[in-house]
Amino acid sequence: MAAHVLPPAPPVQRPRVLLVATAFAAAASFMGFVVLLGIYLNFRASVVSAGSTWLPEGAKIPLQQPNATFMTLLLSVISMAWAVNAISKNDRVNAYLALGLTISFGIASIVMTWYLWTIMGLDIDSGAQGVLIYTITGAHVAMMIVSVVFVALMSIRALGGQFNSRQHDGISAAALYWYVMVAVFALIWLIIYVTK
Amino acid sequence: MALTESRPTTGHTADGSEQSASFSNSPMTVLGSGDHKSIGVVYIVAGLLFGIAGWIASAVLSAHQASDFLSDNAYLTLLSHSRVGLILLAVIPIFIGIGTYVVPLQVGANTIAFPRAAAMALWTWLISSAVLIVANCIDGGLTGGSEKAFVLGLLSLAAVVLSLSLAAICVVTTVVALRTPGMRLDRVPMTSWSLFIACSVWLITLPAIVVELLLIWIDVRYGNGQTFAAEGVPWQMVSWISTQPQVYAALLPAFGILADVIATMSGRRLPQRNLFLGAVGAFGVLSVGVYAQRVLYPEYADQAVWVGMSILIVLPVLLMFAVVGSALKAGKPKLASPFALSVITLLVALLGTLAGALLVISPLELRETDAFAMGQFNLIVGAALIGAVAGVMYWAPKITGRKAVDAIGGLNVLVLLGGAVLAGLPMCIIGFSTRFTGLEGATDALTWVSAIGCALLAAGALLGLLGLLSAARRGAEDAGQNPWESGQTLEWACDSPPPTGNFGELAVVRSAEPLLDEEA
Repeated sequence: MAAHVLPPAPPVQRPRVLLVATAFAAAASFMGFVVLLGIYLNFRASVVSAGSTWLPEGAKIPLQQPNATFMTLLLSVISMAWAVNAISKNDRVNAYLALGLTISFGIASIVMTWYLWTIMGLDIDSGAQGVLIYTITGAHVAMMIVSVVFVALMSIRALGGQFNSRQHDGISAAALYWYVMVAVFALIWLIIYVTK
Repeated sequence: MALTESRPTTGHTADGSEQSASFSNSPMTVLGSGDHKSIGVVYIVAGLLFGIAGWIASAVLSAHQASDFLSDNAYLTLLSHSRVGLILLAVIPIFIGIGTYVVPLQVGANTIAFPRAAAMALWTWLISSAVLIVANCIDGGLTGGSEKAFVLGLLSLAAVVLSLSLAAICVVTTVVALRTPGMRLDRVPMTSWSLFIACSVWLITLPAIVVELLLIWIDVRYGNGQTFAAEGVPWQMVSWISTQPQVYAALLPAFGILADVIATMSGRRLPQRNLFLGAVGAFGVLSVGVYAQRVLYPEYADQAVWVGMSILIVLPVLLMFAVVGSALKAGKPKLASPFALSVITLLVALLGTLAGALLVISPLELRETDAFAMGQFNLIVGAALIGAVAGVMYWAPKITGRKAVDAIGGLNVLVLLGGAVLAGLPMCIIGFSTRFTGLEGATDALTWVSAIGCALLAAGALLGLLGLLSAARRGAEDAGQNPWESGQTLEWACDSPPPTGNFGELAVVRSAEPLLDEEA
């Protein structure tokens, strides 16, 4: 086996590295959803301008579940901000509690979206509508899963004592990605669920 | 990714001796490496090889237009693959490779940000690229007829884009967060600056391709396959990456490279440096072309934003011309091959952007056929290739520790200049045939000339690779730390090739040209 040639660790711990990388990753993810929603609006406008209704016959997207998901995610924004604030004050107990709550809110939102899929009555092979709606909401569920895993990993590192008031880059990075994920849901809620 | 922060010090071999990141490391060492220098070299070599294949494919396409020997399906497959391949398998990866190698050295960092992620991005890109080529060869890809090969092509292309995005995050994070003390963002060397802008543009535009591939895949896998996966639609959805303004984003890092080369060769600080920084930034903003696709914005070609961006983008190139001109006036440049290649890059880029400005003028009817757009694509991607080869020849002594054979570079100057001009201009002339009578008879001859130009560009990529290998040969002259003797930026302050960890203790940087400060 060849020699292991990873370069040495930097002599100085650089703050912001993970935060900067997460900011770029979040921007890239956000742009992906902007493009998806742009395509969705374009297709919907062409169908509506032709005199048809956007959703095919038999399909119905109730507003209760999306509203509940949105409220849950808004609460998760508060709990995530609480976690960042707590860790920046070395308040570990509150930080752990807030991170746990955030993960719970995220899992609840994933389950809620899953449930919504089962009651929509929209077939994926019904045309552009089915493909677009399931792709956009499915991609957002994938983003939620990534966010939950990110927060969970940073929570484990926090439990290991890696973050404190001077160095909480990981928690801040997870929070940034979480906020972007919620912002994307706000767009989906407005464009797909409310103005259908 | 966070594991990077607690990465162990493993820059030594098992017997405790320091590991040098030599160009001649064995393949197995490269395979297990998170060293940015090894990763960068693999990107450069693989990108040049893919570039050779891509330009040969373009030459075959041009030859087909003159003598019609391919089936429609084969033509479309070759067209889509050569366009996408030249950008995502050749030009952008070579720039990513140069960035992965050079940016940490230029900003005074010991390593690239997230070295394991950078290594993962490299191998994912390389394997996905190979799978994409295989998928195209078995009737797959964006225009293929075989469903399984089509899906294979979609997924491998998505993996190519995702891995390049990950690599771009590593490079851009290094520029933003790992700069040495005193190096403000406006003091980073031009190559690092242009890669910062380019990676930012790639990161906000390339995800569009991933989500479009996702739509196509879901339609073909779970839907009725009649919307996004219908015949001809997948290529329409992805082709915006090879048209203006998005195609300009692939050219961006070439401007930074040429500025660094010209400053070094002229032996003086780049005058009006901030103007050049601004011009590169403006070029980056004007090359964001994610909106210019029919699936998203059907009437984009009739809108002022597309027309305006296509015309305005000439201005930053003219500004760069002015800065480079004043640099050449102020100093006596060394006439080495990287210098000549850099000047040619700027000239061909200007031709390409001027062609883009003409393309949007409706009365000229240049969009009636594909010829003019194809010529403009050849000019822009040709300019990007020349810039990349200039960078490879410029940093070859740093990469290998020995000086390259400059005769290869000199020959390559002629080959690449001839290649880019012959590949691009004849197609642009054919584009005028709808407007001016008398050109129809010359169409075949001009198309053959374009095919020869594409073949020359393939030869230029090969000569670029040979130039790098010539520097790696045994017995070549030792490069030393600063082989051009007038290097201004930090990469010329460390050994050639740089040892693991790159630098010892660095002094605080006080300007954009720290080595000139040291001399003063």
